[in-house]
Amino acid sequence: MTVKVFHAELGTAVATGLLGVAGVVGANELGHGWTESGPEAGYFPFYVGLILIGASLWNLVAAFIHHRRAQAHLAAGGEADEPFLDGERARRLGIFIAALLAFVVVTLTMGIYVGSILYITWSAWRQGGYRLPLALGTGAGFALALYVIFEVIFKIPLLKGPIEPLLGIY
Amino acid sequence: MGNFDLLMHGFGVAITPMHLMLMVGGVLMGLIVGVLPGLGAPNGVSLLIPLTFALDPTSAIILLSSMYWGALFGGSTTSILFNIPGEPSSVATTFDGYPMARAGQSTRALTLAFMSAGFGALLGVIVITLLAGWASNFALRFGAPEYFAVYFLAFAAFVGMGSAAPMKTLVSLAAGLLLASVGMDSVTGSIRLTFGFEDLLGGISFLVVVIGLFGIGELLSTVQEGLRFRGVASKIDLRDVFKTIAELPRYWATYIRSGLIGIWMGITPGGPTAASFMSYGIARSSSRKGAPFGTGRPEGIVAPETADHSAGSCAMLPMLALGVPSSATAAVMMGGLMIWGLTPGPMLFATQPDFVWGLIASMYVSNLIGVVLVLATVPMFAALLRIPFTIIGPMIVAICFVGAYTVSNATFDLWLVLIFGLVGYLFSRLDYPLAPLVLAMVLGHKAENAFHQSMLLSDGSLGIFFSNPLVSGIMAVGIALLVLPKLMAFGSRFRRRVPVE
Repeated sequence: MTVKVFHAELGTAVATGLLGVAGVVGANELGHGWTESGPEAGYFPFYVGLILIGASLWNLVAAFIHHRRAQAHLAAGGEADEPFLDGERARRLGIFIAALLAFVVVTLTMGIYVGSILYITWSAWRQGGYRLPLALGTGAGFALALYVIFEVIFKIPLLKGPIEPLLGIY
Repeated sequence: MGNFDLLMHGFGVAITPMHLMLMVGGVLMGLIVGVLPGLGAPNGVSLLIPLTFALDPTSAIILLSSMYWGALFGGSTTSILFNIPGEPSSVATTFDGYPMARAGQSTRALTLAFMSAGFGALLGVIVITLLAGWASNFALRFGAPEYFAVYFLAFAAFVGMGSAAPMKTLVSLAAGLLLASVGMDSVTGSIRLTFGFEDLLGGISFLVVVIGLFGIGELLSTVQEGLRFRGVASKIDLRDVFKTIAELPRYWATYIRSGLIGIWMGITPGGPTAASFMSYGIARSSSRKGAPFGTGRPEGIVAPETADHSAGSCAMLPMLALGVPSSATAAVMMGGLMIWGLTPGPMLFATQPDFVWGLIASMYVSNLIGVVLVLATVPMFAALLRIPFTIIGPMIVAICFVGAYTVSNATFDLWLVLIFGLVGYLFSRLDYPLAPLVLAMVLGHKAENAFHQSMLLSDGSLGIFFSNPLVSGIMAVGIALLVLPKLMAFGSRFRRRVPVE
């Protein structure tokens, strides 16, 4: 899978433009005009949203112009732009992001300790090629360090799941 | 009391065993954060803020600012030894630092970088010391319109003077302002832009956004580039250190020029990154003889490092005196100040002299500690990068999520970190600057309040922003910063008769 810079630019410009639209729509519900007590709550977000839409449109057009020029350059025998993501990089990123997502889901259901132990162990074991006991030890050591630094020294409770209370940790 | 007496008073506040310990600890943590990919100064400071709630504000700011200095030093270390800029502001250091280290002169390159950094920081702090009293008196004359004008100037400077495309900077800024307005509006009390999501009622924390943008975003970039770091051996030879120190006076012109650039870019919101690039560019164009830049020229290390650190320390002045931070890290620190219950601005100097002057004095001490510590511990920290990414990467991820969770104990924030991580990756790949987004998130409410109050004063006429010499002057400078740099670039291109790209 190859993603071109052109497409990434387009996608980003559309996304930021949509954020602007969301701002304008949300501000519109609140009212963006003037009352006797000054500007309404939606005044500021409304105009910021408009600016965001305008700037996004500009970037969209700029991406098209750049793309046309790059095409002409290519037709004239020039070199093609480097892609935004080629297959290998996309695969690496995909795996990393999938693991990240899994980590967040596990953390939300089982707590940060279980989440980070599993995540670090998996990464060291499957990706780093370390033996499972060593990987597990690294993960557990890290979780222990988190516990000591946050809960013992700074007395800041971290996100816990259903397992910790069974071990007597609250 | 003159500035000097106040500074001496500040030293009295700063130099206590507790504070010295915090400085050493802060610098060491900063070095770790600066060396590791995915942990930079802005999000390192963000991660630490929840831990500072137990400290008094003076200790807290000393810890955070020391961490910032440490991160700046750490960033240069990886630039030179690994060709990986640990911080965006140390990108320019890689151009000549890495070639010099590759040529077997890593001690020389590191010493040059650290001494220049220390010199730049010292220059910056001296400027702060001299200007602090004046700046706060000046700012005391500010009303709401003037404050809005200053925020406008800060935003305009980012758009006009940043290295990115102006419209991309504007997107970043506007997105930050919109994100800042989510949740309860402090002026009218209405709930804004939550679209029915209860999790958004309390607003979006800029700390969480910073951790996502800079932390996860940078990690994604690292992953995409492949997981291996190739470094140069990092043993420090003490004799080389002294030999390098002896050659430093030769670069006096570069030092002064770069220091001035850094001071200018630090006080006006150009930021350390722009300062280091500009300084490198000017050093290159003004050098006449010797090896070309990019092959390990000493000036190529001295220039960006001096400018980077003088800008970094000068950024504290507008943050303290006006409440306008000029770098992403300063913005985060200012957010911290507000969380601790302090209001940045001229009144801070009057009501919290211990805090302000303790911080300024600590900047002298902790930068000194920084130079010594970094020289002593470089081999150790460089070894951190030799830990395989498959182990250190997930740990950094976990630390980022833990940090985001501790901001307000909200599980929703974990999703935000993930989303903003993707945004950060996309933005940095496509050259959208991230600092304006952070700045806008921190300043959004204040800018809006100032605007709101000005409008109330003037019954809705924008003319109030040009109603007296002070406010019109600031607005004029803002507009000039917005349009002049691009006009000048256009003009010089025109003169050289080079076709417009």
